[in-house]
Amino acid sequence: MVDQFPKLIKIKDVLTLYGQDLVQSMFFLVVGLIAIRLIIKLFKRTLSKITPNVPLVSAISNTIYVILLVTVITTALVPIGLDTRNVLRFLIIISLVTVALIIIFRPYIPSLPFKVGNTIKTGELLGKVESTTFLNTRMRTFDGKTVWIPNSKILNDYMINYHLTPSRRVNLDVRIRYDQDLMKAKQVLEAIMIEDPRTLAKPRPIVYVTHLLEDCVTIGGRCWVDNLKYWRVRCDLLEKTKLRFDNEGIAFAYPQRDVHVYNKTKLVEDAPIKASCAVPKDDDFEDMQ
Amino acid sequence: MKIAKVLKVIDQGWVQKPEGFRVHFQKKTDLEIITDFVPGTDDAPFDSDVTAWRTAWKLYQSTQSEHPDFGQGKLINIYVVDAAGNPVKYYATNRHEVFNPNKV
Repeated sequence: MVDQFPKLIKIKDVLTLYGQDLVQSMFFLVVGLIAIRLIIKLFKRTLSKITPNVPLVSAISNTIYVILLVTVITTALVPIGLDTRNVLRFLIIISLVTVALIIIFRPYIPSLPFKVGNTIKTGELLGKVESTTFLNTRMRTFDGKTVWIPNSKILNDYMINYHLTPSRRVNLDVRIRYDQDLMKAKQVLEAIMIEDPRTLAKPRPIVYVTHLLEDCVTIGGRCWVDNLKYWRVRCDLLEKTKLRFDNEGIAFAYPQRDVHVYNKTKLVEDAPIKASCAVPKDDDFEDMQ
Repeated sequence: MKIAKVLKVIDQGWVQKPEGFRVHFQKKTDLEIITDFVPGTDDAPFDSDVTAWRTAWKLYQSTQSEHPDFGQGKLINIYVVDAAGNPVKYYATNRHEVFNPNKV
């Protein structure tokens, strides 16, 4: 303990000399940081009302945040006695070095394959990206949940970004019975897709016979729509298909199997029932083993 | 004939693709009958006939109620038209339908 005295006396001397300046500097820093936080929050809210472009709002806010931060740090260092110009030079050098390092190493840094505002599907989650940080991504699902997903999980799993392609294909697979008019069904399905204003003219809507299954014929309608309209168009087309097919008298197929029994001998009433209801004995299991 | 030309003929002659849909209705008052549309002719039309017919049906249902707002006039001849103003067939029946028909 006695050995510590000279050090403590030294600290006391330093605090006596520079204590007031340090307190003043810390005060500027804390007040400045709180002020920046409030300003950025207010700015973001105001800008969001002017433009709905989330990435643009985020970029402008971040730039202003950096500028204000540099200003506050510089101002806070002045009471200690540091020359403002030297501090600015130091910060500019650090910024330039950081930018240079990012440019050089960017191809080697794993980046997330989406931007804020994109609609993505990762794992079982489908939603809109609200923000990203170094550690996680905040996503809002379409049923109103906010989910934080670790970026490592996104990078290690498959991911679909629905914003990279402007259009998307709608599949309408319909099962009809074998005794139905196939040509009429194809014609009705194609007409349903063509007459919807939201389906794209190119590629043209088309209908294929996709399967000849044991209990039905499957016809598949294919048309393309804008990505943002996909869900509503799909639902509308399904509804129209059901109603129009009913109206045109085309019957849908449902899974079924017809069993035809051809028996020459007359069935004895009790015998088959007894056989089917027979309870297996323990010996039967032993035989099976 | 080239394929592109044939496709053009098919597009013009077979199933037409409307540009949008509006709900047409008329409001009957003591003095006159006013024709109106939802959305209005200055606004963008519905891009879905399903939505348009659903709106038409809801509008028709509202005329069945005894709401005081409908005391002055009754909504009649409710149906869906395309952006050009031509009546559109009801997608479920593939026929022209009119809700609350009333000859003027």
